[in-house]
Amino acid sequence: MQREATHAVAPAVPVPAAKLGMWWFLASEIVTFGGIIVAYLVFRLAHPQWLEEAAHLSVPIATFNTLVLLTSSLTMVLAFAAVDRGDERRVATWLALTVALGLVFVLVKAYEWRHEIAAGRVPGESGFWGFYYGMTGLHALHVLGGVVVNACLLIAALRRRLEPIAHRVEMAGLYWHFVDIVWIFLFPLLYLSTH
Amino acid sequence: MEAHAHPNYVAIWVWLLILALFSVMITAVPMPHPLMVTVVFVVAAVKAILVALYYMHLRFEQLLIYSLALAPLICLAVLLLVLLPDIVYHP
Repeated sequence: MQREATHAVAPAVPVPAAKLGMWWFLASEIVTFGGIIVAYLVFRLAHPQWLEEAAHLSVPIATFNTLVLLTSSLTMVLAFAAVDRGDERRVATWLALTVALGLVFVLVKAYEWRHEIAAGRVPGESGFWGFYYGMTGLHALHVLGGVVVNACLLIAALRRRLEPIAHRVEMAGLYWHFVDIVWIFLFPLLYLSTH
Repeated sequence: MEAHAHPNYVAIWVWLLILALFSVMITAVPMPHPLMVTVVFVVAAVKAILVALYYMHLRFEQLLIYSLALAPLICLAVLLLVLLPDIVYHP
């Protein structure tokens, strides 16, 4: 594969360095989000009354956002497939869609926050809201980070300068899909287990 | 990375959407709360596994990458297991 040509010397491990580095980073991310999720689970089980707090959240809005993020994973992986085919124009199209969907997700999240805050549901009200803003806030920051990285790759693709750094689309994709997986769990944890 | 054909990404996406909508609709069906929670989280796990195996290509990766993904999950399971007795035995 052309990617292995980037190693100056024979690699000690049979995995490209960028991919190995990205997975190490993701391993640390799993523990970051996982630690918060485990703490939330323990607190939630200890406070059955959080059920009523969680019932205030809007399931339709969160469902919409879930579909947005799942679709953005599809467009991201299609960008990667286009890199493999050497089709730079398609790479730009799929990256642009991924950036747009990521922004939609963050804007919808911001609207939700505004709505909750206006209704007086703020972190001090109960432990549930502390976890809610902490978890969705950290996740939204991760989405924003992914949007910035994808936008940089998009600009490179539009300026026809993507080729030497094309393998980064795969790395950005690994990160993006991880952020998607975090939401796959936050959605039922916060919104669905209330009835 | 071995040469492999790309999986059918669109088919995976369709499954992800179906599973997401299913987990929302199941909450409207009257059933015992523990059963509903179990179903919802099993569906979430299936979605996460689909994304990891096919979109993150874990299915085509080597043991080294697999273990980087699994080791922190095992740590988290242990963390949860040692913390849970606190809740169960102190109501």
